[in-house]
Amino acid sequence: MPPEAIALRGLTFAWPTPPEGREAVPLFRDLALHLEEGAARTVLGASDGGKSTLCHLLDALVPAYTGGELRAERLEVLGLDLRREIPTPAQVGLLFQETATQLFTTSVEEEIAWGLEALAMEPQAIGRRVEAALTRFGLAGLNRRPPWTLSGGQQKRLALAALWAQSPRLLLLDEPLGGLDPQGRAEVRAALEELRAEGATLLATAALDRLAPWAESCLLAEGMLSPPRPLDRWPKQALAEHGVAVEDAALERLRGAASPRGKAAVELRGVRYRYANGVEALRGLSLRIAEGEMVALIGPNGAGKSTLLRHLNGLLRPAAGSVRLFGQETAGRSVGELAREVGFLFQRPERQLFAATVREEVAYGPRQLGLAEVDRRVETALVRFGLEGLADAPPAILGYGRRRAITLAALAALETPILVLDEPTVGLDGRGWQQLLAWLTERRAAGTTILLATHEMALAATADRVVRLEAGRIAAQGEPAAMLAGEGGR
Amino acid sequence: MITFDLYVPGDSPLHRLDPRVKLLLLAEGLTAAFLIHSPWAMAAGLLVLLGLLRLNGVPLHLLTWLWRQMRVLLFFILLLQPFFSPGGGVLLAWGPLRWTSGGVEAALYLALRVLLMAYLVAALLFTTEQRRLVQALVRLGMPYEWGLMLSLTLRFIPAIYGLFVTVREAQAARGWRAEGPLLKRWRGYLPVLVAVVIGTLRQSDQLTMALAARGLGRTARRTVWRDLRMRPLDWLALGAGLAGAIAFAALRGIG
Repeated sequence: MPPEAIALRGLTFAWPTPPEGREAVPLFRDLALHLEEGAARTVLGASDGGKSTLCHLLDALVPAYTGGELRAERLEVLGLDLRREIPTPAQVGLLFQETATQLFTTSVEEEIAWGLEALAMEPQAIGRRVEAALTRFGLAGLNRRPPWTLSGGQQKRLALAALWAQSPRLLLLDEPLGGLDPQGRAEVRAALEELRAEGATLLATAALDRLAPWAESCLLAEGMLSPPRPLDRWPKQALAEHGVAVEDAALERLRGAASPRGKAAVELRGVRYRYANGVEALRGLSLRIAEGEMVALIGPNGAGKSTLLRHLNGLLRPAAGSVRLFGQETAGRSVGELAREVGFLFQRPERQLFAATVREEVAYGPRQLGLAEVDRRVETALVRFGLEGLADAPPAILGYGRRRAITLAALAALETPILVLDEPTVGLDGRGWQQLLAWLTERRAAGTTILLATHEMALAATADRVVRLEAGRIAAQGEPAAMLAGEGGR
Repeated sequence: MITFDLYVPGDSPLHRLDPRVKLLLLAEGLTAAFLIHSPWAMAAGLLVLLGLLRLNGVPLHLLTWLWRQMRVLLFFILLLQPFFSPGGGVLLAWGPLRWTSGGVEAALYLALRVLLMAYLVAALLFTTEQRRLVQALVRLGMPYEWGLMLSLTLRFIPAIYGLFVTVREAQAARGWRAEGPLLKRWRGYLPVLVAVVIGTLRQSDQLTMALAARGLGRTARRTVWRDLRMRPLDWLALGAGLAGAIAFAALRGIG
């Protein structure tokens, strides 16, 4: 029998008791996990379900750095009892979900060298190891680039290279495919496949079945881990119920919610935009969207999708050309004024929460705009996104999934006639997808005009029209079926 | 994304000079700028410095950029300093305030001195990688953890600033408007700061764990890849710097 890389049994863990009135619900209850050396396993679980905590626990960061109450019959990694011993980076490597935080130096090569210096490797050997890691993960030639200028996929690969250079026997990968566009996902998937082929021991997490690196999966739900099973042996419906999958029916409902078109809601004419660094992001772009229409913008990174969206509520102003909403020029109207007509969802919106309570957060927009029936709007939005029980909680202490839901509720409360969404599904778990789809279905049926930028072809396929941007111009547009035929389906 | 990194990638002699030597030369330069009283000497020093930077690959637009950053400060020095250093004939009088010829002269000197010092500091930052600068400080005796803290700060300031901009945009997109009295407008910034502080705390928690997971403090002694090493040119510059300082001190002793 091969030696055990991970052996957990009877694990119970709860965060430190929160302040008044909130009970400490154990995050893990009698959790068990076994992984043999040389094996690979996915832990599937919805946001806020404890996936990151499990990873941190297996690297002895929890509870050492976070506090919390831990009990276990057995808590061993590579034969080390984590209650007494801390694994070194030469034993366990951890890829953080928020990879950017893990890259703390100012150049790619230094990032890899840093960990080797920490292990007191001989300086002559470090140079060779750095080069080997760069080549191994397809980063050769990027030696001097600052890590924060790399694409999402490159950042993940750099973090992997830095871990790999320290030669760990077990790699913990917290959502390695999450938050990436399809190209980044393909890059990282390939890198992980290679590690797998070399016989590395790997434990990865995923918040969505499609983002599972390996089919052999356990489901983390209600604080317990199910025994492993290949992904295709889980009924899709069960996965959706546990918030880690999207049923096709939800997408179908959105597709079917099309409403009749009215006059022009959005009209861009000959819009040009150039960033201060000289990059010409939009090069004479014209687009007309009818009231009640849903349009999906697709195209590679840097094609100008976000730049275009930012023109709709005045965050950016065209250098030439015009933007009209319901026939009115946006020029001369502030972003705050345009917020009456355009509800805007940013990328990574969960970082933008600032109010003291969830209720205040959701009420902020309607109050700023002096809208009628603020209370009714707020209550409706809170119920819509299952937040009514958390109305008085500070958004800052809530988990990722909840914070994403708050951003949608804050947007929903504005009840704007136009919705502009920039990559709304990135980082969402199955539950987040379902919430988003259900809400969009409702708004679309009610005649709201929707413009969204996405890399998810399954989402783009639900639109009335798909517009493909390339290098700041519309390269093609048309019905989803025709437009997405060559995009590799879902 | 803004960065606080002024470094101009290059391979000129000034770039290759050991950062420890550059720190010493900077210290000497700043001391001299304090002690020299001749405006001609300061102006000459500034011209030599600018010429040196151009010859070592610092583009003109960066040199003029620094000038643009400095000119408001210089304007206020020229405007206000005369009030604080009276002397000589009165040029302008406004109530008890007097602009005197001696005061204007003193202000000119001060402005020149500030400008010289700004370019001296910039000369170091233009030609030295942040990593090597921190390495130099550590080699000169600063504890490694301080050096790490310094580089982490430099690394994450842009991210924090980015977060600030992002939250401002989000507020605007939800109806915030720059209206009403100034005080009320400023109060609009408060929630933004809250969001930025929370974001920063979240990030620094993660960062602490990431550093630990990668092995910070796991060995008694870290090794250093590509450590600083003094080469003949560095020794030469060090010697010249020291000789210059001695000569300067001797001259001032005599004068």
